[in-house]
Amino acid sequence: MTGIAAGLTGFAVLLALMAIRVPIGVAMLGVGIGGYGLYTGVTPLLAFLKTSTYYQFSTYSLSVIPLFVLMGEFATKAGLSRALFRTAAAFLGHRPGGLAMASIGGCAAFGAICGSSLATAATMAQVALPEMRRYNYSGALSTGSLAAGGTLGILIPPSVILVLYALMAEQNIAKMFMAAIVPGVLAAIGYMIAVAVFVRRNPGAGPAAPRASWAEKLAALRETWSIILIFGLVITGMYRGWFTPTEAAAIGAFGTLVLAVLHGGMRLSGLVECIRGTARTTGMIFLILLGAETFNAFLAQTQTPMLAANMISTSGLSPMLVLLAMLLLYMLLGCVMDSMSMLLLTIPIFYPIIGGLDFGMPREDTLIWFGILAVVVVEVGLITPPVGMNVFVINGMARDVRMAESFRGVMPFLVSDIIRIALLILFPVVTLGVVRLLG
Amino acid sequence: MTNDLPDQTEGGAPRAPRWLALPVRVFAGIGGAVLLAMMLMTVASVVLRGTLGRPIAGDFELVELASAIVIFCFLPICQMEGGNVVVDFFTTSASARVQHLLEALGDLLYLALAALLLWRSWHGAVEMRMYDEQTMVLRLPVWWSFAIILPAMALLVATCTATLAHHLRAAVRGERA
Repeated sequence: MTGIAAGLTGFAVLLALMAIRVPIGVAMLGVGIGGYGLYTGVTPLLAFLKTSTYYQFSTYSLSVIPLFVLMGEFATKAGLSRALFRTAAAFLGHRPGGLAMASIGGCAAFGAICGSSLATAATMAQVALPEMRRYNYSGALSTGSLAAGGTLGILIPPSVILVLYALMAEQNIAKMFMAAIVPGVLAAIGYMIAVAVFVRRNPGAGPAAPRASWAEKLAALRETWSIILIFGLVITGMYRGWFTPTEAAAIGAFGTLVLAVLHGGMRLSGLVECIRGTARTTGMIFLILLGAETFNAFLAQTQTPMLAANMISTSGLSPMLVLLAMLLLYMLLGCVMDSMSMLLLTIPIFYPIIGGLDFGMPREDTLIWFGILAVVVVEVGLITPPVGMNVFVINGMARDVRMAESFRGVMPFLVSDIIRIALLILFPVVTLGVVRLLG
Repeated sequence: MTNDLPDQTEGGAPRAPRWLALPVRVFAGIGGAVLLAMMLMTVASVVLRGTLGRPIAGDFELVELASAIVIFCFLPICQMEGGNVVVDFFTTSASARVQHLLEALGDLLYLALAALLLWRSWHGAVEMRMYDEQTMVLRLPVWWSFAIILPAMALLVATCTATLAHHLRAAVRGERA
């Protein structure tokens, strides 16, 4: 069998296995090992497997992942979601739909210490959902704004998905984080505008709450300094090169641990819960990572990624068309797959292609820009049916709201997402400006 | 990200018997303790480097050793609690029996792969010991970490067997998925 035929067959088998509910990581690992064995022979395979798993898991650069996951777990126990929501509500609550805007703002700030979308949505919902329901916010607006706000968790650094992209596409994690800041802030603003438009059309959906006094605003603001400190230390320290990403993550995890104990009143049982959550998430990520690495080792043997990249760059297709096709594929895949597996599966194939295309900027800039676009696009999958994880989780927490209502509630945010994606595609400087300015 | 996902362990019988669930949790605990230690060591190293200009010797290789132990210790609990992501879009309308059988198929494949990796890693560990492979700075023998990694992998094999048996039983009884 020729290389590319073997590669494509491997892909077909992989997709078939995933379609029949074989866990994604297991399917990738199985096809990877099977394909490697068939293509290069059993003896080299058995030799390869002796230490490949160990070296895969004992990579210094990958150790950043369990630490950021742990940091996110501690963050959910730090009792800061209340302070963040109160602060945002003190400034925005008196507007129509203001508490929904405050949920968005709270999610954005929480995303600054938590790199997970579901954790962000669920943690903020515990505080914001009862408050919005108390002020008679409609079910659609209150669940929709939280589900959408949660997606800010993976865009605003530190973000586990951005780390994974940076590692797979061989990019600098600190630069990836820097590049995500403006799109993240833009996303929060866009979501707030979506809330404003929604309540203008449905005035009953988000009645204004009483206006907070300046004393209340300042008091609320004071409680949030710790987040600013941790976020600032992690991000600037990493960017300035004071410490490695792993060290930054360790400091961030330690900082949120201190917060969880001192501010959130976490005790041993809470710590055990955090470890358990970290274990599940880390186990899941690394099984997929191991599968993806093994599958890619097989693909690399068949030279499929290189041939595909060559074929596309010599085909005369316009780079923009290729980019749009990839993003469209992400949107479609996002309807059935979770975002992390999707990226781990596709990035090794896509990034050499994208890196080889001419978008009128250096290769590194192109790859950073593409990474942000990919993450923004896959996060849309978190709030669209049928897989819209965030919507399911938030809806599960709001027992009196019907699922259809929640999915109706995320519609304005989807519109905002699409406008933002278009902006990011048309103006790469939005993403790359900060990186260039500081680089 | 799935830490707050609704628990995917099916309502009825747990996916692993109690005699297995205990060591799985113990190993997750070991992994957690090592992860916390790795975090504290790294923070201490950064602080020492910042104040005294001298980090903890061999901090990078300690992180590497620790992170391998952490990840291997976390794999069994993820499998036991059904934390591994699947695409269930195409199979949601299938009958409960078919769903359990498909889950069993996934477990069987994972079982085979985990057993293969355990077997190969055993040989890898034996060779590392034979050639006395050491870390760069501290000269720690790498095979030491396999004293935890190999049992963790064996536990993963056992857990896959248990979840496989669980889904087969459920398929035979025709329980709801």
